[in-house]
Amino acid sequence: MSFAFTPENQKKFEALLTKYPTKMAALLPTLWLAQNQNGHLSLEVQEHVASLLDLSPVHVHGVVTFYTMYKQKPSGKFHLQFCKTLSCGLCGSEDLIRHMKEKYKLEHGKVSEDGKFSMELVECLASCGTAPAMAVNEKYVEQLTVEKIDELMKKLSVA
Amino acid sequence: MTKVKITIDGHDLEVEQGTNLIEAARQLGKTIPHYCYHPGLPPDGNCRMCLVQVEKMPKPVIGCRTGATEGMVVHTQSDEVKKMRQSIMEFLLINHPLDCPTCDQAGECRLQDYYMDYDRIPSRYQEQKVHKDKMVDLGAGVMLDEERCIVCTRCVRVCQEVAKSEELFVQERGNHSMVATFPGKKMTNPYAGNTVDVCPVGALTSKDFRYKKRVWFLSAADSVCQGCSRGCNISVHHADNRVYRLKPRHNPEVNDYWMCDYGRIDYKFVNDGRRLKPHFKTDAGLQEDSYQNAFAHLQSVLQNYSADQITGIASAQESNEEINAFVDFIKSNFGSLPIYFSKNNPENPYEDDILIKADKNPNSAHIASKNLKPVSEISGGVKAVFVQRNLSAQDAQVLKDKGIQIVALFATNETNLDNLAEVILPIPTFAEQNGHFTNFEGKVQGFTKALKPRGESRLFAEHAEDIKALLSSIKKAS
Repeated sequence: MSFAFTPENQKKFEALLTKYPTKMAALLPTLWLAQNQNGHLSLEVQEHVASLLDLSPVHVHGVVTFYTMYKQKPSGKFHLQFCKTLSCGLCGSEDLIRHMKEKYKLEHGKVSEDGKFSMELVECLASCGTAPAMAVNEKYVEQLTVEKIDELMKKLSVA
Repeated sequence: MTKVKITIDGHDLEVEQGTNLIEAARQLGKTIPHYCYHPGLPPDGNCRMCLVQVEKMPKPVIGCRTGATEGMVVHTQSDEVKKMRQSIMEFLLINHPLDCPTCDQAGECRLQDYYMDYDRIPSRYQEQKVHKDKMVDLGAGVMLDEERCIVCTRCVRVCQEVAKSEELFVQERGNHSMVATFPGKKMTNPYAGNTVDVCPVGALTSKDFRYKKRVWFLSAADSVCQGCSRGCNISVHHADNRVYRLKPRHNPEVNDYWMCDYGRIDYKFVNDGRRLKPHFKTDAGLQEDSYQNAFAHLQSVLQNYSADQITGIASAQESNEEINAFVDFIKSNFGSLPIYFSKNNPENPYEDDILIKADKNPNSAHIASKNLKPVSEISGGVKAVFVQRNLSAQDAQVLKDKGIQIVALFATNETNLDNLAEVILPIPTFAEQNGHFTNFEGKVQGFTKALKPRGESRLFAEHAEDIKALLSSIKKAS
């Protein structure tokens, strides 16, 4: 199984290249594009990106491992990102995180057995005013409580 | 280039504009401490150890990436600089495992050296250190201890700049960062050994050398690599009359700071598989014996030939001096036939346009200057030959096919000629003698004696004296 950009993404990739003075400079957005298409950046995808940009695979791997938002493993269908920074922490995020572990067996870096959920602890989501907050995929869920989480999980597990 | 006047610690000097401050200070004989900077690699500036103060600059600057400009006044010994060095050392040592007693780098470690020079305070760090893998095989004979690594990236730059093969990169970040290859791949470039040389700490060690010898027991002798016709300048590190490792020696005209991995392990023949005593052929096979008996056998063999049936085959593996002595000996004692040469001639030799040459002989250029003929052109008049060092397999076959006898082989090691030669006389390797090699560019480079000649091996000239005496007694008898 080899990775290649879809025709649509290929166009986007070619447009990206025109924005930068060197091919190497286009690495971050190209990885982002690849991750959006593939879901995560497998070694194979990293090698492919390296060949597209005339870089060594080990260079690309170094960049992928540096940034936490590049995923090296598949995430669940719903990727739950709990904020663990100050405001959310003061408003009880630790209790919520404990609840996730006890009730749903989910913790940082884990994917549920059915592949539906994955969880990650992240730094500030910039939603301090509505703490505690999390992001489900790219959507924010705010002013979380244990009840709110249970309700959401119920909804998502049948979605 | 324009010259500029600068002042370092009160000493005035003139340097080329843009010279970095570490190199400028070196011209005064001063060392600005550094880890990530290496004169053979592009500066990176990540270790911060070379911080110095420059007057009129608001903050301290790193010596490795600060170019000299007119009127610059630099302080490398101020209290503030010393304090910065101490802080950097403390920072670098936070997660250091302090396993010096089991670390192969101990004795040539910059962390040890600079700790004694600039730090000398006990660690204040109370927290748990970050633990990482201590035995990672990076390939190409290089082992990585991730805990000892200070991520200076010298090794990464060696692969990029010297080997032209980007196989290492820093992975992860913060205190988890480490040098690694792409998952599932290993280093394969033939210059990987240089990563071990440039590693300022014990992170990268050589599989070949690790745990063999504490470095403070080693002595070094300046030498020249005899692996190919490049003639990289090397140091032979030795102890107990054995060679333990070869390290490159800086020569900007030949090999800069580097050498290849083929050359790096090309010392094993000095230690092992040697011919340390005279041998001669008997009905029961090859017999190890005294010089007296070996020469007696040689005399009986030489009696079967007249002087005009005998010639010699010189070796491109030997030094200028040994080749000259051999050729002179053949010329003055036999002389009517042409003299031949043989070369180490492997099939499909590796070469590149970095250092490695296809000609795997250190002294082909000197052989070429002696007007000798290749063994393949050997003529019918030759019945017997003296052979220096060794013959290639093809050349040995030529002698076999033409029924030419090897009366004496001057050998360093056991070879494929052992059963063809009547007498084998031991000679020292390049590590046991002074001499010169002429490299492919015609550069004559001297190498020095690291070991005493091993066993009973002797230089060719000493053998030649004894053989001359033999020949004159044969003459008298006839």
